[in-house]
Formats: sequence, structure tokens, C-alpha cells
Amino acid sequence: MADDQLIIGHRNSEWNGLGPILEEDIAFCSMAQDKIGQSLAFYSILHEMGESDPDTVAFTRNSPQFHNCQLVELPIGEYDFSLVRHFLFDTAEYLRFNALAKSKFEPIADVSAKIKGEIQYHIMHANTWIKQLGTATDESIERMQKAINVAFPYALGIFEESKYEGDLIDDKIFIGEHLLREQWIHEIDKVIASTDLVLPDLAAEEAHLGGRYGEHTEHLQPLLTEMSEVFTVDPSAEW
Amino acid sequence: MSIPSLDPRLNRVDIYKYHKELQPKTSMDQFETYEVFVQSKETKPYQHEGIVHAPNKDMAFLFGKEQFSRRGTCTGLAVVETEKIMVSPMTDNSENVYDHVSIEPEKDGKEETYEIFHLFKRGKHMMHQGSVSAKGFHDAYTQAGSTYNTGKVVLNVWVIKHADLLFNTDDQRVIWSTLSEKKFRDAIAYKALDKIKKFKEEQTASN
Amino acid sequence: MYGGGNTFEKLKSKSIQDEDPEKLAEFEARIARGEKIEPSDWMPDLYKRQLIRMIEQHAHSEIIGSLPEGTWVTRAPGFKRKLALMAKVQDEVGHGQLLYSAAETLGKSREQMIDDLISGKSKYSNIFNYPALTWADSCFISWLVDAGAIVNQLANAKGSYGPYCRALDRICIEESFHLKYGHHCVIHLATGTPKQREMMQEALNRWWAPMMHFFGPSDKISTHTEVLMRWKVKMASNDECRNQFLDMYVPKIWELGLTIPDENLKKNEETRQWEYTEPDWEEFKRVINGDGPCNKERLAVRAMAEERGRWVRRALLNPKSKYVTPLA
Repeated sequence: MADDQLIIGHRNSEWNGLGPILEEDIAFCSMAQDKIGQSLAFYSILHEMGESDPDTVAFTRNSPQFHNCQLVELPIGEYDFSLVRHFLFDTAEYLRFNALAKSKFEPIADVSAKIKGEIQYHIMHANTWIKQLGTATDESIERMQKAINVAFPYALGIFEESKYEGDLIDDKIFIGEHLLREQWIHEIDKVIASTDLVLPDLAAEEAHLGGRYGEHTEHLQPLLTEMSEVFTVDPSAEW
Repeated sequence: MSIPSLDPRLNRVDIYKYHKELQPKTSMDQFETYEVFVQSKETKPYQHEGIVHAPNKDMAFLFGKEQFSRRGTCTGLAVVETEKIMVSPMTDNSENVYDHVSIEPEKDGKEETYEIFHLFKRGKHMMHQGSVSAKGFHDAYTQAGSTYNTGKVVLNVWVIKHADLLFNTDDQRVIWSTLSEKKFRDAIAYKALDKIKKFKEEQTASN
Repeated sequence: MYGGGNTFEKLKSKSIQDEDPEKLAEFEARIARGEKIEPSDWMPDLYKRQLIRMIEQHAHSEIIGSLPEGTWVTRAPGFKRKLALMAKVQDEVGHGQLLYSAAETLGKSREQMIDDLISGKSKYSNIFNYPALTWADSCFISWLVDAGAIVNQLANAKGSYGPYCRALDRICIEESFHLKYGHHCVIHLATGTPKQREMMQEALNRWWAPMMHFFGPSDKISTHTEVLMRWKVKMASNDECRNQFLDMYVPKIWELGLTIPDENLKKNEETRQWEYTEPDWEEFKRVINGDGPCNKERLAVRAMAEERGRWVRRALLNPKSKYVTPLA
């Protein structure tokens, strides 16, 4: 989860100062900051459990050591793709954190409960944009539909199960990816149904998996190299 | 030929392609404007903070939230189209607008709730004063003149139909719940005097 | 953030002699009493035009000013810097939005202002035409360019136009974060490893000349600037601002053991004025007129952002909506 949030926050920050209208630039940047802040909260939990400090974990690993889904590492594309990814990913996050707020593992339950408000705004934002661009002009509908078609198989990769899936469910730490995916389909379908867009046929789509196990597209390593360019000049220095 | 930018983000697009194609903006390219009001604490009145450009009220709310309430505290936000506000004339600092300007109230409109905003000093912000039930904008102004004309000199009055304002719901207040944790947006998070002191001591010691 | 060196030379406007003398007297009396002018008040044509130009240049400087630091937004080292730099670049965009809004109350549309920026008709602060070569350059900008901007902005916040003052009040509060953040970054580099220190010194060497240009050349005091000072449009001379900046920040740079690349720089304790090598004003003029290292890129980036966003804006526009001038 921490890797997911770091990478999507980083990607969305690439719009910082370059958005389609000043006000949206500001809103989109706030959400990217929220994501980076959330990833920091989760890396901090890991640190307390014995991992290295958050900066080291985030800024010194290479792509095979990252466990994010491939959806978040894809380039930002045009605004259509960035919005569609934001919608697909944040809807999943919203449901994931709702579920995790009831987790038996307290540190995760606490963070999940705390960030509920942030994600609620992200969802409001995403749904409003999808509903509006998904019903506006032929051009916008066509662009959004194309973006959905590209992003959807990657979005299914959000729900790739880890090796510990069974244990997490048994210990009531997490409801499990399968159930989450069901809820997600239901939620995104509700929004998409209110527009002129259509969801790809689930039966015909194959999920892009592997991200959770360190298999990534060619886009992740350059992102990491760029992100850590200054930090790795001297990782032991205080910047 | 384009020279690579120092910004890696910009080398992923051909930035020079667009400048050649660029057409002047058409009118409304930046949309209409919405006036944004923020309540920073539950005990405080809504205060006018500025405008956002937006294509509709829902977007204006999304934009207003991050432009005008991304720091400090916030318990409420409201937006309304600029054109839907009735504005009184503006008086000088010693003159009460209610004493100088009166208008004929509507007699047979539908009773609705109107929100009244006052300006007490030039250069300051419009503040929410209260609401009245009235038959129209003029009626609301006239009523405000008797209900809220409490001796403090009012320089300017805005009258807004309550139904025209988009407020957050009570459930949505949670969207501001982590504001206090975003310390990285405030000066207070960047103290480094100790570092300077230590550095100076080391310099003195090594000399 | 914002550069000084505004152009206060004469604009094409109605001559003061042609204004209604009674209204002009009322307007001047209001300013003399220390009251603010609000958008619905009568105001002389020259006042309005000069303010539009000044606020618009300020807005453009925020928007273009977000780009040199934006250069480093994807490479900020560590979580604390990453979050702060994102928030800072966001603030610059936000400041641009606030300032465009203030200029709009005087009757110029945001569409027109953006067009004038991209076509090169309107100016912005010259300093942003220089490149942010390394992370240390972005730290210099965050601290000292913002510090210079604050000197200007605090002066302007005491000006006479209500909407501009309100925008500046908010901006100054937000800039206090920029200043502390920037100082924090520079302190860490200057007191850090030899490599970090070297980066910081090199950035200072690169940026000192543009920083001295930042406040603009000495003002020519004419009847025109006297009127603008009386109307509280121009609040302080360029030299006063530069001197105040040097007074506040040179000691802070020196205490970090950094060397300012001007051997003539020293304070004359008698006059309380700083003495320095006269900045190269020919270079200043050359860069402001388009021949700086980054002028072309800065405008191309804005053109790109506007053009790539065009389909989004076109899709959302409600054909029935209409624009009215914002109120305050």
C-alpha cells in the first residue's frame, strides 16, 4: 500500500504547475500530497516494525523491490488518463481503507480511520470529474473511454493477492482482495453507469499482474532513478 | 530544434510543439466565477475569501476547498455564482450603508431564505451576518437593515439566496479532518536554529 | 513570489487633467485618510491601468516562478522535502490564481492576461528566466528569491487597492512557510557534507547577480512616479527594497560561512546603506526583452499547459454560463 501511494503521488505531482486550469492544478496537487503523506504513514508503521527509515526505504530501492501495482507506475499521459487512473485507483483505496479501519492490526486501523476524510474528498473529486467529462462532448467521452480501456486491465492488478492473503484474512487483518474487487466493481459501475462511458467486459479482460511481486513495466525504474537522483548523491547526508 | 529542459517532466513532451499551434483564448475559456466563503471554526461566521473559476457549482466547491481551506482549520465551505449576488453600493468608512441606501422591497414574491453579508472596513473581508426570510432581494436587504443594523457601521451589503449557495453537508466535514496534521505546509515545521548554532560553534572551535 | 523592478513608466491612459476634479479630490482624500479603494469606487484611469499592469505582472511572476522550482519537484530528496516542495509549487500557482482574481476586479479578463503572458506582451519577474541547474539552486530560490519577494509584497500590502491587499495578506502568510522552508534547506546544505556545501556555494555564485537585478534599476523619480506614490500604488523605491533585502539577509548568508560573489559588498554604517558593485543593467534589459537562458522555455511550457488543457475546458464549458466581473 505504501508503495502504491508513493508512486501514484509521485506520478500525479508531475502535473504540479502544468494542469488544465489553475484551480484544478491546486486541487490535484493537494491530493498528490495526501498520497505521499499516506505512504509516509505506512512506511513509518513498517519502520516501527523493524524496517529501515521511510526515506531509505522509499529512495534507495530499485524497481524489483517495489510492490506497487503496475497501474500507478504508468506515465501520466494526457489529463484523461490521469483522471481515469485517479478514479479507478482511489475508488479501490476508499474501499480498502474503509475495510482496514476495522482491521485487527491496530496501527493500520488507526491510519486508515484517520485518512478517511482525505480519501472522501479524492472520491468526490474523481466522481465529479468522471461524471462530467463522461457526459460532456463527443471528444471528452471518446478520450475518457479510451483511457478506461487502457487503464482497466492494469486496475484489475490492484487486487493481486500476496503470498499471505490467507493469513491476513484468517487473522481479520484484511477482508481480502477478492471481496474488495467485488465491492470495487460495484462502485465504479455505479459511477460509470451514470455517464456515456462503458466498462470493459470483465470476462474478456486479463489483469496485469506481477507488481506485488516486483515485476514492473519499463516505466518504474526511470521514475525511481529520477525520484532519488538528489537523495542518492549522498544517502547518509541530511538534505 | 529543441534544447532539453532541466526539468525531466518537460522532456517527456515536446513542449515547443504547442507554442506554434497556440490560438488566442476564446471568451469563457476560463469559465465563470464563483465566490467562496469559508467558516474556519464552528463558532465563527462564514467569511468571503475570494473567487474560483469553474464550469459549475460542484467543481467550484472542489476547487474552493483546496484554494481557500488547505491550511489552518475549516468547518464549512460555500460557493455561489458571482452573478447571483445582490451587492449594495459601497460607502465611506464613517457612513452606514443602511442609512444612505434604501430600496423598495418586493411585495408579492415567494418567501425564501436569504443570507446577509456585511463589510465593516474597507480592505477587509465580507462577513456573514445572518439570514432573513424575504420575498425578494430588496425585501431581504430592507429586513436586514432593521434586523442587523446594530449600530456598527456597515459599508457594504451582499444578499444571497440561500438556495443558490452550495454548502458542504455535515457528513462532508470530515474532508478537513487531517488539516492539522499537514504541518509541512506551515513555517513552524522548519526550525533549524540549533543547526546554525552548532555550525557556528564548530567554526569557532576550528579557528 | 514576485520580482520587483516593475515598470512604472507612463502608460497610455487618460491624462489626470481630464479626470473629473471633484471625483479625483474625493478619491485622493480617501487614500490620504488611509482608507482602501474597492472595485466599485470611482478611480482615475491611470490608477486602474497601472494597477492592472502591476498585479498582472505579479500574477505572471507567480505562475512562471513555479517553473524553476518545479524543475526539482520530482527529485526532491526525502519525504519532508518532497512534500514541502509540492506544497510550495502549489502555493505559487495558488498565488497566481489570487492575483489574477484581484486584477479581474479591475476589468481585465483572465483569458486576456494569459494570452498576453504567452504572447510576450506582458512581463514577469526577470529572475525566473534563469535555470535551476541543481537542487541547491532550487533551495536558493525557495529562500532568497522568496525573501526578496516578501520585501516587495509586504510593502505592497500597505497599498491602497482593497482586493490586492487582501490577496497579499494571504500570500504573505503562505510565503512565511516558503521562507522558512527555503532557509531550512540552505542551512542543511551549507552545514552539511563538503559536497553539499559546494553545491550551495555554486548556486549562490550563479544566482547573486540575478538577485541584485531582482529589485530593478534605481527609479527615475518623475511626476508620474510621485503621483503613483501618492495614490499608494508604488509603495517603496527599488533601491529601498534592495537595501532592506541586503540588510535582512546578507548577515544570514554570511553566518552560514557562504561567500557572496561581490567583493565590494559592504554596509556603510554612516549612511546605513549597502554598497555593492553596480549590477549589469544591460544584461537585465537584454534578458527582460527575451534573450535570457530560459525565456523561450518558460513561455513554451505555459503554452503547452494551456493547449493540453484546452479539450478539458472546452468539454466542461456550459454554453449558457456568463462571466461577470468578480466582486472583491
